[in-house]
Amino acid sequence: MARDPILVVVFLRGGADGLALVAPSSDPDYLAARPEALRVLRKGDGAGRVLRQEVADVDFRFHPAAAAFADLFDAGDLSLIHAAGLPEATRSHFDAEARIERGLFGAAAPPGDPSGWIGRWVQAAAPGGPMPVLAVGAMRPASLLGADAAVAATLDDLILGPGHWLAPALRARLQAGFGEHGPLARPMSDLVGLSDMIGSRLWSGADADPRPYAPAVDYPEGNPVSRPLMTVAQTIKEDLGLRVATVDVPGWDTHVAQADTFARLTRQLSQALMAFWRDLGPLQQDVSLVVMSEFGRRLRSNTGAGTDHGRGNVMLVLGPQAKGERMLGRWPGLANEALEDGADLAVVTDYRAVLAEILTGHMRLADAAPVFPGFTPEPLGFWG
Amino acid sequence: MLTRRMLHIRVLAALAAGASWSPRAAGAATSGAATSGAIGPAERLWLDRLTYGATATEAARLSDLGRAAWLERQLSHPVSDPGLEERLAAARLRISYGAGSDEYGNRWRATDELRPLSWLKADPADLVPLQDWGPGKGMDYSERSRPAQEVIAASLIRAVHAEGQLREVMTQFWHDHFNVDSGKDETTTTTFPAYDATLRAHALGNFRVLLGDVARSPAMLYYLNNADSIASPANENYARELLELHTLGAGNYLNDRYSDWRAVPGAQDGLAEGYLDLDVYEVARAFTGWSVGDGRWLVEGEQAPRTGVFHYVARWHDPYQKRILGREFPPNRGPLADGEEVLDILARHPGTARFVCEKIARRLLADDPDPALVARLAQVFLAATEAPDQIAQVVRALVLSPEFDAPPTKLRRPFEVLAAILRAARAEVVSPEIVWHWELARAGWRQHEYGPPTGHPDRLAAWTGASSLNRLVDLALYALEDWWGTARLDLSPLAGPDETLRAFLARHAAGLSAAAADGIAAEIGGIYLGAEGLDGPAQALPDKKRHDAARMAMAFAALTPEFLFR
Repeated sequence: MARDPILVVVFLRGGADGLALVAPSSDPDYLAARPEALRVLRKGDGAGRVLRQEVADVDFRFHPAAAAFADLFDAGDLSLIHAAGLPEATRSHFDAEARIERGLFGAAAPPGDPSGWIGRWVQAAAPGGPMPVLAVGAMRPASLLGADAAVAATLDDLILGPGHWLAPALRARLQAGFGEHGPLARPMSDLVGLSDMIGSRLWSGADADPRPYAPAVDYPEGNPVSRPLMTVAQTIKEDLGLRVATVDVPGWDTHVAQADTFARLTRQLSQALMAFWRDLGPLQQDVSLVVMSEFGRRLRSNTGAGTDHGRGNVMLVLGPQAKGERMLGRWPGLANEALEDGADLAVVTDYRAVLAEILTGHMRLADAAPVFPGFTPEPLGFWG
Repeated sequence: MLTRRMLHIRVLAALAAGASWSPRAAGAATSGAATSGAIGPAERLWLDRLTYGATATEAARLSDLGRAAWLERQLSHPVSDPGLEERLAAARLRISYGAGSDEYGNRWRATDELRPLSWLKADPADLVPLQDWGPGKGMDYSERSRPAQEVIAASLIRAVHAEGQLREVMTQFWHDHFNVDSGKDETTTTTFPAYDATLRAHALGNFRVLLGDVARSPAMLYYLNNADSIASPANENYARELLELHTLGAGNYLNDRYSDWRAVPGAQDGLAEGYLDLDVYEVARAFTGWSVGDGRWLVEGEQAPRTGVFHYVARWHDPYQKRILGREFPPNRGPLADGEEVLDILARHPGTARFVCEKIARRLLADDPDPALVARLAQVFLAATEAPDQIAQVVRALVLSPEFDAPPTKLRRPFEVLAAILRAARAEVVSPEIVWHWELARAGWRQHEYGPPTGHPDRLAAWTGASSLNRLVDLALYALEDWWGTARLDLSPLAGPDETLRAFLARHAAGLSAAAADGIAAEIGGIYLGAEGLDGPAQALPDKKRHDAARMAMAFAALTPEFLFR
């Protein structure tokens, strides 16, 4: 039975260096701007995997630690959109994250509307099911404002005191004790509802612990991205009506000694995503996953072998419907006059164009305008 | 369509207008009186806003002194606190690791011991070796991370036991304002004790002094990479967060409105109202060379001293002219002059005054404090920029304002929930393990290890996810059990030989929630004891059973709106 389509949003917090993830490895301006350690090389042990499709006469290569992405790209499951980002120039993490996650700009941003783009999708699509939206982690990203969402690192975390003999009494207290209108009344009642629902599926009172998730493949151990993606896979497989899940991956703010940190983060991200993808098996058909960050990083490195905040970045879209193995959008180049403010990869594709196409294509939303009011996307050509 | 969020906003507005829903009904059950001293709900709320939770001792003190004198006692409380020092000296924190070796051929033995918190007051120079790697310098990473772990363990002891409660509350405020993730790596773990001491020393002092000490703190210099900022290009990480998070705030980041510095209001008169990316770049240049004396290599044949404190490297500094917020900086000035002037400008900027005062009001009073109140506080802040007690003056103005009598709308955050439960229970925190730290992390609270430089969020919506709330349930259940070993407590003593079980249970519940106390007493009686015994003497129960019953009453009382809101 075909499920409703599912979107997974992986947000790389801190501003991931797209020029090291998918690198214009032969571009003379790229070669001139960065020391070898901050580039993707074309020769030797550390050479990056080349993208088979030539784009703008540039030899784009994946970072050598992103071999799993190269495999997914070659398999036709992954599309890339480079030089994408915010239409408004900001190089502040939190300002950029807030703008991206709200997705409201200029005249289209009604004063006082705090909703996020996923929140508006929920309002437009009105998904049913017991748990349509899941934010993996302890905090709810701003993109979910305006929607009900389960916020948890693992499904077990939603079960009230499993095995504790006082749990039934506490459950009653949470349900009744917060009044009709207090600000915690609804969150507490949501917790009780989620606990009842998850608990009945994962935990029989006879066992000491909730039933652990048994993935179809092994996820890499000691990899901080594995657990959150396992939670998403488990939620999909438990058939809880999941439609959108968000996963935050921190640590990409590489102002110093970028080379080692970036390689480690990229290896963790790509290997965990590959495990997730294989774990889904035939359910891949129902899932699209987008990888994004608040901005890219400066073309020229600083004196600490790191890079500062930039603008344009690469976005990754994983999913069989995305007709992968393509680099979409336009590549503006890195010549000084092509850079934004003479410093950063320019933003030539509005990030909303990518998300809007996923919403209308994969998620089968008739019209993305309620999600991104005032924005008319130019189709990038993933779907259709 | 009425969204849930809008509904919440309406409910909060109704609350503010004094409508029916209130976690602290004015006619709260009288059974609270035994624990809360002779104070009423309003005084109780006042204490809950200014401490880590009202206790009988503090209630009695407030009752004796009155609000104004109680506040002055807190505002002038010295940093040194003999009772607390004694507890910190007696505290032991486990360190445990297996035998190991490293790539340099170093080997070390397995260790499992309870150690004193001996790094808390160490000379920073003595901590530098914990950053060393190489032959003869091997150790388990637990040794390198130990100094920060000690600060984390101490933080709960301080929150629960410090006499200077308001200083502790404000120290945590500054930890979030000037956030450093102590767990970043061995540079931040080893410099975190000094950083904690710096924030505590100036928590109620002068903002410019605090800002300057933070700018020179190795922990901050490492965390935001300024220690490695060499001309040129400079590292922009600290410069950006200095403007966005420490002083002017994101609301004064005007990059999407102006591309030319001359266009920013005020810039051509010598003080721009807000900042652009251009200012970030220039501020970064001003702080090049502000680094740490950790023995780092400076130039062929020259190393920084191994002092473990701030070290300025003149040859790393970009000496040429700069323009920051419309002000011209001449070239080739003396050492540190560029950075110090940036801090001078920022600490006295009206934008900083508004941003910092709003955050203080948000911390102590309400998520969205009245703008008129914030404006008044900003005036106090600006009038006192040279005063040694500038921050205390702002806090005093806030606490004594009529707005401070508003009904409770602040949700206690996870660390505050834990501390308040332990205070109400009169627990003695020993924290030989910091299991509580990992439990709080599951609720989103990373005490001294919050990754992003924003610090923990301070609005209700951030803490009402189902998983975070579920961790509060766990905290209520387990904070009062012994198996974390976090605290010693004995809840069995009676108020008097004739105390009934009902009164005994209500007394414990009332320490957290006077309004719900009687109902909880009946509920616990029904679950645990059989209701028929409630009106008999509590003395009839064995100590252990009485302790457990009281513990349950407190756990239930912790899960009430009256306790969770302040």
